[in-house]
Amino acid sequence: MKKVTRRAISALLVAALVIAGSVFYCWKYLKDGASWASYFGNENVSGTSSLTDRNGITLVSETGGKVTFSEDEATRKACYQTVGDMSGNIGTGALTQFAGRLAGFNYIYGTTDSKGTKVKLTLDSALCVKAYNAMNGRNGAVLVSNYKTGEILCMVSTPAQDPANPSKTPAEGTYLNKCISSALTPGSTFKLITLTAAIENVNDIYKQTFTCAGSVDVAGVKINCTGVHGNQTVEQALAHSCNCAFAKITQEVGADTMAAYAEKLGITTTHSLDGITTAAGRYDKAADGSSDLSWSGIGQYNDLVCPFSMLRLVSAIGNGGSFPEPTLLGHSEAEKETSMLSSATAGKMKDFMSYNVQYSYGTGTFPGLKMCAKSGTAEVGDGNTHAWFTGFLNDPDHPYAFVVVIENGGGGLRNAGAVANTVLQAAVKAGD
Amino acid sequence: MDSMVTYVISAARYILPVLALWVIFRCLRSMLREKYEPEVWGYVLDGGGDKVYPLYHWENLLGRARSADVSLDDKTVSRVHGVLIRDDDGMWRLYDTFSRGGAWVNGKNAAGNGAPVRSGDTIKLSGKELVFEDISAAKRAQLEAGRTPAGRNVGPGLTLFGLTVFQAFLLLEHTVTASAEYAASIILGFLALILIEWFCYFAMRSVRRNGFEVEILAFFLTTLGLSVVASSAPAEMFKQVVLIIAGVVMFFIMGWWLRDLGRTKKIRLAVAVLALLFLVLNLAISKVTNGSKNWISIGGFSLQPSELVKVAYIYVGAATLDRLFRTRNLIVFIAFSAICVVALALMGDFGTALIFFATFLVISFMRSGSIATVALAVTGAGLAGFLVLSIKPYIAQRFATWGHAWDDVYGAGYQQTRAMSAAASGGLFGKGAGAGWLKGVVAANTDMVYGVLCEELGLIMALCAILAILVLAFFAVRSAAHGRSSYYVIAACAAVSMMMVQLGLNVFGSMDILPFTGVTFPFVSKGGTSLLSCWMLLAFIKAADTRKGASFVVKSPEKVSGEEAEDR
Repeated sequence: MKKVTRRAISALLVAALVIAGSVFYCWKYLKDGASWASYFGNENVSGTSSLTDRNGITLVSETGGKVTFSEDEATRKACYQTVGDMSGNIGTGALTQFAGRLAGFNYIYGTTDSKGTKVKLTLDSALCVKAYNAMNGRNGAVLVSNYKTGEILCMVSTPAQDPANPSKTPAEGTYLNKCISSALTPGSTFKLITLTAAIENVNDIYKQTFTCAGSVDVAGVKINCTGVHGNQTVEQALAHSCNCAFAKITQEVGADTMAAYAEKLGITTTHSLDGITTAAGRYDKAADGSSDLSWSGIGQYNDLVCPFSMLRLVSAIGNGGSFPEPTLLGHSEAEKETSMLSSATAGKMKDFMSYNVQYSYGTGTFPGLKMCAKSGTAEVGDGNTHAWFTGFLNDPDHPYAFVVVIENGGGGLRNAGAVANTVLQAAVKAGD
Repeated sequence: MDSMVTYVISAARYILPVLALWVIFRCLRSMLREKYEPEVWGYVLDGGGDKVYPLYHWENLLGRARSADVSLDDKTVSRVHGVLIRDDDGMWRLYDTFSRGGAWVNGKNAAGNGAPVRSGDTIKLSGKELVFEDISAAKRAQLEAGRTPAGRNVGPGLTLFGLTVFQAFLLLEHTVTASAEYAASIILGFLALILIEWFCYFAMRSVRRNGFEVEILAFFLTTLGLSVVASSAPAEMFKQVVLIIAGVVMFFIMGWWLRDLGRTKKIRLAVAVLALLFLVLNLAISKVTNGSKNWISIGGFSLQPSELVKVAYIYVGAATLDRLFRTRNLIVFIAFSAICVVALALMGDFGTALIFFATFLVISFMRSGSIATVALAVTGAGLAGFLVLSIKPYIAQRFATWGHAWDDVYGAGYQQTRAMSAAASGGLFGKGAGAGWLKGVVAANTDMVYGVLCEELGLIMALCAILAILVLAFFAVRSAAHGRSSYYVIAACAAVSMMMVQLGLNVFGSMDILPFTGVTFPFVSKGGTSLLSCWMLLAFIKAADTRKGASFVVKSPEKVSGEEAEDR
């Protein structure tokens, strides 16, 4: 009998399979339950669900399985990746990510509202259209948020298309929201990270004089500068975006601290935008003393930055060190701010970025805006450059942080800076 | 007053899962707290009584193998030498299981049909001499007195009371959602179920049987089934109650029949023939429904013969220890299984064919202990499966849909997507009994019943339904260690495996984790024949439960000790 009773294990094996299946089902429920519930055949959701922008302009609505996008074609295109399309091509789109909210779904109570739900995004669709038009056919990303509330006002990724009339063969990158799902070579905008690390780790950083003769030799490799800047303070070095100075500063900070700051400032990690996971950037630690290390502090080498991570950094600087996480759905009062920098460091960085604009770009470039910013012209290897422009308005009435990237867009200030100016002028006007 | 009712009803959503979990855990605890207290049926004495081997079962394996029940450390003894078997009347017999050195009782060879063994007889296995001694009535009574009766640690009465409260709250929810036309029949249906279960309980008590966990779990699942009917087809409440009564009656008849191992074994061949006739009849006269041909209608009653054949299949497939070791191959059983599976495949009932096959694997492994046999069977079935897929486009299509239900929400994925969507709507606590919409979709109360459970009673309750079957399975496996005969042990394990496979295909099929084959959830799905067969399978589980005073299917040792033993 013992022989047979031992074989009763086979029934337990079947039980184990049933348990494994049940666990798998529960996992699937947590992962996909929201989208199952939001299926239009679900009679527990019978009313109209709609997704609107901050001004109540409908971006997309769904009644009994019929999906209607915004009436305005420009709005449809400008918000394409943020909203998503009918085929679910954009995994990070609101239609996919907030499907459960649209169906009034949560995991505990299932679908709770049979009348349909209205989900309001913080987005300003008119501002998105402005940004989309300013990009003028060029590829890239535009992100604008209010750093005091975290609300994202503008999130545009190009190329985009019309979800009401989708192309079968859309341009490459159409299905990607570059604001949150891409990581690009940052160029000189990375100097913000290097400088933050230097302020907190290099004791005599303010007393040093950085000499620039147009190029510098690091471990036998020549690092070229954009000009001959002579003797400079650290403040002037940032304003000149001096490669010679930053090649030296990076070495003084050291590879370990550089890598630690890339992580601490959220460049190399992923983040959550209302539950949507954003892309992580990249910072490869080069050997101390090497030219690669110097290049990595200038935003070249293997550096990659996601525009969303850059938005968090400039939000932190603009808001005095800590900031509410950027959001599309809005925050409740109870949510805590994320603390990234000390207020002293943030204040110092703010001064540097403000000085940079006044000294290098000229305030006349941004009429009426209290601009604090840094440009970047990132070499991407094939002779092309990504144009970056990032920063914030030091203006309590218009506390906007922004990132503009134009792929293969030429000089940072000239191209991305111009887009930033257009969009921010519109944002300030809309905010008044 | 009205607001009071509203409060109670919204509270019921949270009370129901708590009660369900409480009932299931009491059944589980009752099982786990039982100590291992084997029955003793006789002794084998070695070296004039230096070493005494108690015989804990009716069927005992003698041999050198460590897994033998009487494990003898003697080089001349074969690993599996012989089996010593007791029948219902207390008569013992030794069978030689193709040993190298032969087996004798008082000099009489035990090859072939074996040799009878009486108390004091000498058993000779090759060079090894042993003495058999039957247990005396006094000794047995003393041992019995020392065993803990079932229900001592966790009283079944209180558990059943908990279930009754559960049913009352469920009924309350139904009274709110039910249309006025059916409210009365729903209330009567639930009251009838409560009456049936308490009648069963007192009937058991009256024959001094106190192990009621298995029945409580079955009644819990039946309650969920009744709730599904009340919600989806309230006009059929009366019919469902009649079927529950029929199922319980069949459970008692089946259990009573299984009490006597001799007569159980005697009609195995007849049952096998009957089962095959049923399948042939089914193939011959049934009409095609939903792509499969597994229904026959007799005088307005539709019957699913394959459901009854399930019971027959286990009845025929289980075997006693002497058979296991004397007939080395499974050819007859394999042939019987193959005919069943092929017949079901011809009917297009792919789901049931799969259930038979999985049960076949469990039974054949328990009979042979050979992984090779199982591996061979799986390979063979895989090849056959390909054949079926190539000639039955209807089944191939279900495979194609598997994992892609959302790609075709109006076609092949229609049922699964609705089931998943409704299931998610329910959240953890459900929308309330009778308050769902999935019930209106075709086959919701059978093939997609898991979706209805999730939507109306919530995910926790749906998982409780799965848990109840799993607890039955643990119970059967634990009972296996004390089973009197390998027939009961194999049958119980096969029965729970069959239920679990069926549950798995139902749940995971409707949720697009497995191909959607359209089988029933044991006890819960609406469907007469399926409910009957589940209650009959339950009798197999009861037959393996040898705890003191637990199961009506197991005769108490005093009853089966046989006067002959004292006469001798």
